[in-house]
Amino acid sequence: MSKFSIEQKTNGSTEVFYLKGFLDAHTAPELESAIANAIEAGQHRLVVNFNDLEYISSAGLGVFMVFIEEVRATGGDIKLTAMKQKVFTVFDLLGFPMLFDITEKEEEALAKFSA
Amino acid sequence: MSKTDSFTHERLTASGDTTELERIRQFVQDKAREFGFSEQNIHKIALAVDEACSNLIRHAYQLDDSKEFFVDISPNDNDTLVIEILDNGTAFDPLTVPIPDLNQYAAQHRKGGFGVHIIRMVMDAVEYFPADPTHQMNRLKLVKKLS
Repeated sequence: MSKFSIEQKTNGSTEVFYLKGFLDAHTAPELESAIANAIEAGQHRLVVNFNDLEYISSAGLGVFMVFIEEVRATGGDIKLTAMKQKVFTVFDLLGFPMLFDITEKEEEALAKFSA
Repeated sequence: MSKTDSFTHERLTASGDTTELERIRQFVQDKAREFGFSEQNIHKIALAVDEACSNLIRHAYQLDDSKEFFVDISPNDNDTLVIEILDNGTAFDPLTVPIPDLNQYAAQHRKGGFGVHIIRMVMDAVEYFPADPTHQMNRLKLVKKLS
């Protein structure tokens, strides 16, 4: 039983990941594969929408750490958006807002790529 | 009825499988809620226990689901909740893990090493006791006060 799911949509040259449910040490590998596949397919502009994500542990945060340097090295980025307070708290505890671009709305994240 | 009357000591037995994390979080959340913690602190306590158990399952137990560990919860006085995680793995004191440097970790593509930092930030006290001749299991003790 997996209480985590990912939906992906391509928006122009940007790949948007919609996360739902609970992202922990059990479900993080699923996200890691999805992002790795997108990068392998040539996508370097990634937006992760957390609107339907109820929970994240450091295993989930670690996934973004794996890829951030790689996508930035090729002019891309991983932008994080629409987090519930509970999820943002975990990012904030570790100082992630210093390293990652976190926006309130998905449109803002997309606009930053097209700017 | 005082809060300590609601429960005295509860134990969850779990195995070295990451699918157990959901059940562990639910157990801890239910007990923390019963004890009277705010939703914000219930989340923090469950997160700390999740981080500790994730490390244990992945590193000490190497995802071996034939191995068991215990999550014990007991109230201490009226205002303190004590959670102890007991395992039979190789002793590893998480308190020796350095505070992660985000930029350095990103450059190294490192995805681990954050859990212990989270545990230390959200709990009021963290202690580690490796197994010894009188205590057969390693014990990680997490403490959170109501206010």
